[in-house]
Order: sequence, then C-alpha cells, then structure tokens
Amino acid sequence: MNDNLHARAQRLLAESAVEGLRPADETWLRDHLAECPGCVQEASATRNVLHALRTVPVNVPRDLAARTQLRVRLRAQEVSTAPNGSFWLWAVTAASWLLGVFSAPLVWRGFAWLGSNFGVPKLAIEMGFVLWWTVPPLLAAAIILHQKALTAEWRNKN
Amino acid sequence: MSAPAFTLTAAPAPLLFAGFMTDDTQALAIGLRQRDPDLLDRLIEQYQQRLYRYLLFLTGNPPLAEDLFQETWIRVLERGSQYNGKSKFDSWLFAIARNLVIDASRRKKISSLEDLGDPETNTPYDPPDERANSVLQMLVSRENEQSVQLSLLKIPAYYREVLLLRFSEELGLEEISVVMATPISTVKSRLYRGLAALKTAMTGGAA
Repeated sequence: MNDNLHARAQRLLAESAVEGLRPADETWLRDHLAECPGCVQEASATRNVLHALRTVPVNVPRDLAARTQLRVRLRAQEVSTAPNGSFWLWAVTAASWLLGVFSAPLVWRGFAWLGSNFGVPKLAIEMGFVLWWTVPPLLAAAIILHQKALTAEWRNKN
Repeated sequence: MSAPAFTLTAAPAPLLFAGFMTDDTQALAIGLRQRDPDLLDRLIEQYQQRLYRYLLFLTGNPPLAEDLFQETWIRVLERGSQYNGKSKFDSWLFAIARNLVIDASRRKKISSLEDLGDPETNTPYDPPDERANSVLQMLVSRENEQSVQLSLLKIPAYYREVLLLRFSEELGLEEISVVMATPISTVKSRLYRGLAALKTAMTGGAA
C-alpha cells in the first residue's frame, strides 16, 4: 500500500482526536483501517494515549478543599468588613475639586492681593495658583498607590 | 480482511460545567459578584480535582500547586465581578490559575515553568527537577505509574498543558485559546506536536 495513504491515515487519526473529522475523511479512514493492520496499531496507540489522558488520576490532599474554603471565607469577611478607604478618598478629592472650582475667583484675588502688597513676582503667584489646583489630586494619587503597594505586600507575605 | 475492532475517537465535545449552562452562568456571575460564600464553597468542592491536577502537572511541585490552588480561589473571590457569565466558568478559572503559575515562575524561577511560553521563541526545554518529580509520582495513582503520568512529565510544559486542557479537562479549542491567551492555530499545532511527543515518550523514546 502507498506510503502516502498511511501518512494520510496517521494525520487523520491525530485530527480526529484534536479537531474531529469531516464525514468524508471519517469514511475514508474507516475503510483504510479495515485493510491496514499497521494503521490499526497506530490508531490503537492513539486511543490508549487519549484514554490515559482522560483518566489521569491525581490524589487531591484530603483537607485542601476545606482549608481553601476557610481561607476564602476569612478573606470574604475581611473584604466585606474593611472600610472602603478608596471611596472616602475619592469623595474627599471630589469635594476638594468642587471647592477649588468655586473658590478659584477668591483664591485668585487672594494671590493678587499678596502680590500687590508684598511685591511677589507675577510668575511666583501663577505658580502658586497652579500648585493650589494640582497638589490635592497628586496627593490623593500618591496615597492610592501607596495603599495598593501595601496591600500587595501584605498578600505576598500571607 | 475482517474489519478491525476499532471505533474512531471523535474529538470530545466541549463539556459544559454540569448545572451551569447559559442561564446558569449568568446566575453564577451574579453569585460571584455578590461574593456568595456558599457558592464559592460549592465551586471549590466541584473543581478541586480538575484545578489541582492542572496546577500539579504544570508546576510538578505539590506544595506550590496547593498554594496556587488556594490563591486561585482567593482571586476568584476578589475578582468575581470580572466574570460576566458570557464565557464558560472553567476557562475563566483556568486562565486565573495559569496567570498565577506564570507569576510564581517569575518570582521563584521554577525551571519547569519557564517554557510555558512560545516554544518557537523560547529557550530549550528544561525538565522539572528530580525531587519534584519523585514527590509528584507519589501523588499519582500507583496502578498507572508507568504510563501516562510519567510520560507527561517527560514532555515540555507547553505540550503538557495543552494536552491536559484538551483531553483531561475536555475544554474546546476556543476555550483553550482563551485560557492560554494564544491563537487557536497555535493551540492546534501544540496539540498535534504534544500528542506525537507523548506517544513517543510512552513508548520509551525521548520527547
């Protein structure tokens, strides 16, 4: 029998395991196997490998599920009872931003008054005004990042 | 010649998690979002064998597999809101476990895991160390000790993983590609090569 036929049969055997076969290929393979003991042996080896893979037994440590359930429940309690720090952080940031928007004219006038009475350069006044707006969100971002780093460190330790 | 007693082994149809078909995956997603502890208890029970087996064969290290098993469920608790119920829970669970294995391999430089990436671009396979293997052998069933379990350990991890997901966990090709974040074509080629490597290993040759 032609070597190409055996090669095709072996390719189809692998295909039947991985993707499944089209009906025409399936019929061809069935016919080929009916006449070719070598390929039947190959098919049998493939079937044995697949059967072994489908029945790989592993002994799960007896208390693993119970330990995991306990740990998950403890973690669930921590998560539900922990104060929602980021909520308050965002609330404070939002409040400070709103306050900043509405107080901007007053703050600007305040900086202008300081400049006119104490001779502060215009550039310094403008820088001060910019900082007045940018420092609170930068501080909030720094606190959030710090909190995340602490949480990650705690998780790694535990 | 008489017809040989052989039945074609069709590719296994992707099995859906019993009791969690489409509507139920939505219910599962809601339960996970609410961090329902009873639901999590049930899932841990139900998936313990499959998840532990996957982690054990991927790491070749029972204590590490146990740690990662627990860590996987903690992640499921914490990130349950990210499961939308549109995909199978299995795929999502195994993807979480896989990412943890990769993180662990980066942190602890586990030699057997360094080859989970693309075999075409990575360094050659470095087999798991002898000690880890011997502990693993104690855990696998004695009756088939000489067969597939030991042969699995002889083949590269990127083949081992895909074979386990396909034939032990019975995930579909698309689901495996989701778990591994890899194109389906890569999944298929690894399956073909993995099967060939495993057959060779089982008949006593080198993978």
